[in-house]
Amino acid sequence: MIPLLHFFQDPILTASTLGTMLMGLASSLVGVLVYVRKRALIGETLSHATYPGIVLGIGVFSIFFDHSPLIFPIVVLLGAFVSGFLGIYVIYYLESKLSLNSDTALCFVLSTFLGVGVLLASKLQFSEPVWFQRVQALLYGQTATMLTVHVYIYAVLAFVISVYILLLYSPLKIIHFDYDFAKVLRIFIKPIEFFTLILLVFAIVIGIRSVGVVLMAGMLIAPAAAARQFVRKFWQMFVLSSFFGVGIGFLGLVFSVNGSIWFQEKYGQKISLPAGPIILIIATLIVLFALIFERKRGLISRIIRRNQFKMNCVEENILKFLSKSLNKVHFSDLREVVHLSIPVLWGVLTMMKLKKLVAESDGFYLTKDGNIKAMQIIRLHRLWEVYLFKCLDVQRENVHKSAEEMEHIITPELEEELTELLGDPKKDPHDQIIPRKEGLS
Amino acid sequence: MKEGYFGKTFSQFFQLLWNHFIKACQGEYGFLDLAVDEVQLITLTLLSVTAAIVGSLLVVRKMTMVANAISHTVLLGVVGSFLVLHYFLKRPFSELLEVDMKLLILASLLASFLTMICIDFFHHTLKLGKDASIGLVFTSLFSLGILLVTIFTKNMHIGAEIIMGNVDMIHRDDIWIALSLVIGNLFIFLLLYKEYVTTSFDPGFAKLIKVSPLLFNYIVIFQTSVTLVASFRAVGVVLILAFLIVPPVIARIFVNKLNAMIYLSIVIAMTASILSVALSRHILTVYQIPLSTSGLVVTILLAFWLLSIFITKRRKTSKLGSGLTLAD
Repeated sequence: MIPLLHFFQDPILTASTLGTMLMGLASSLVGVLVYVRKRALIGETLSHATYPGIVLGIGVFSIFFDHSPLIFPIVVLLGAFVSGFLGIYVIYYLESKLSLNSDTALCFVLSTFLGVGVLLASKLQFSEPVWFQRVQALLYGQTATMLTVHVYIYAVLAFVISVYILLLYSPLKIIHFDYDFAKVLRIFIKPIEFFTLILLVFAIVIGIRSVGVVLMAGMLIAPAAAARQFVRKFWQMFVLSSFFGVGIGFLGLVFSVNGSIWFQEKYGQKISLPAGPIILIIATLIVLFALIFERKRGLISRIIRRNQFKMNCVEENILKFLSKSLNKVHFSDLREVVHLSIPVLWGVLTMMKLKKLVAESDGFYLTKDGNIKAMQIIRLHRLWEVYLFKCLDVQRENVHKSAEEMEHIITPELEEELTELLGDPKKDPHDQIIPRKEGLS
Repeated sequence: MKEGYFGKTFSQFFQLLWNHFIKACQGEYGFLDLAVDEVQLITLTLLSVTAAIVGSLLVVRKMTMVANAISHTVLLGVVGSFLVLHYFLKRPFSELLEVDMKLLILASLLASFLTMICIDFFHHTLKLGKDASIGLVFTSLFSLGILLVTIFTKNMHIGAEIIMGNVDMIHRDDIWIALSLVIGNLFIFLLLYKEYVTTSFDPGFAKLIKVSPLLFNYIVIFQTSVTLVASFRAVGVVLILAFLIVPPVIARIFVNKLNAMIYLSIVIAMTASILSVALSRHILTVYQIPLSTSGLVVTILLAFWLLSIFITKRRKTSKLGSGLTLAD
């Protein structure tokens, strides 16, 4: 195992560590921009669209130059940039001029560009097998061979992306959240969107070295999607997303390097685990974690909230039923009213007993607190019926059903407002007495 | 002795093909006499037909990116099913791509099902956007596939081969696979044509008449995944994806009915595949460059698309933007 600090000190590892982290930074920043526009898959298309450009660039380059590690990344970058740009144009043309839906347009560009890339690669494979190997490595990414020159290029590109977002923060925000308002303000929407796509190509160019053409899309989505769960402000999303991006990149590299070493020690086999897939799996796990466990928007808290509401409704229905019945009520009768399974109903009743709302001796009955709460619910129910009948002209026969639902939802503030609006009515549309508020506190 | 295709130019290729066709009709040539180029040609043509049918459905249902996702996750299905074979039947990993077809199809169905379930889980249960769900699910499942391949076979080239395809690996038996795909898909399509149309263009109405759009989404996805897996060994995922998308997109420029779209895309795809086999032979003969036939097909399809755009622009009688209408 290589300790974490060594990833920054070891002369061979430093370049790939920094390179991967810069990749995480760039893709997570741009990822936010495409994620909030709900165009996350454009990353997938453009990353594939860069492939023919890279192959062509290297093909042309191999005619004129010898194997030089310095010019190679620049050629890859230029080629990727040109064909990525072309890809953007074709998507734009398909969507706006041919009115093709965006899904088809994206897949069209993806498959055709990759196909042309395959054709060019087969030519390269025949004429320049060494270069072909290096191009193929870009499909799935290769962190091990990263050099200092890559880090410099990536640092510049990531810097450009960060500065762009910093400078254009408010126009970007307006365009992304209120497109029509941006139009009214005469913000240069077209150039800004175009530049955003160019930055996307930048991020992809950085990314294909470490995670590869095929997996780049995930890296553009994951940090932004995870960050979205935790934040409320646009700038927070950038900060958190880039934090996730850098972290995911670093962790992925650590796991791939140490995992390879672990395999060698344990089984004596030489396997180099590719960093790209590991980065992606870590990223997905983080997104899953964020989507499930986030405190407010996460799956678990949503389920808990939903169940709490349901239980609350059940509790209130039981209270209402008990207050209406004159005698003590047996468990089996209650089951018929609320349609719940025995253990759930038993649980609810136990909770109510703990809250001292009901008591049990030879059947259930309301305590004093329970009675007050039941009256409160009936008051809300009837108030709402009056509101529907008086203000919304709903037929007298139809008001009950809506009130059955609303009685669980109306807040104290709403109740006050209703009371004021309706002039503190005494009776509901069915001529039943509405419990007074004063007696309920 | 039968004359081979070695050293033939473009026109000679078609002459020879015609001769062989005549002789085959007269019963002089049997199935086993098929030359490599002919096997390629027949397989590609059959695959293009089946892809055009399924692809048109994908395009009108706006599900092409899901197809792209499945084209990636099929790898996980293949690797996963092979792991099972490896542990229970002790098959060595070098035979990864030579598994028999039934298992591959089963694996692809499982993989596509898994993909759809995961996308639905992310989208509906976890409330992630649809596009983000698709992107995240297929990249992570594909990563898992690559990792498994790397760990168990100790190289990554199989991944590349699945993407690029290896036409040298086309075998005579692939013809039967492709043929059964064509017959199967055509049969399903003709049988369920009305249901396809209603669920594609008016899901609400489809629900009303008790035809579940969701069920048909799954049927189309299963058809796609079977098509993908049956063809990736021979032509690679890229080509089959292009076969699925590009001919319908071209056809849509000229026609606006679903059945016309399918027939036209079949014609386009068949032409492209026949041309590409001849052209790759021609280039090999004249320039001595062995080009990837799959790459060539896609490039020809792209050229067709550019040509059709050029034609419609010239004629100025564009039906563009009219959108697909319901078939009569």
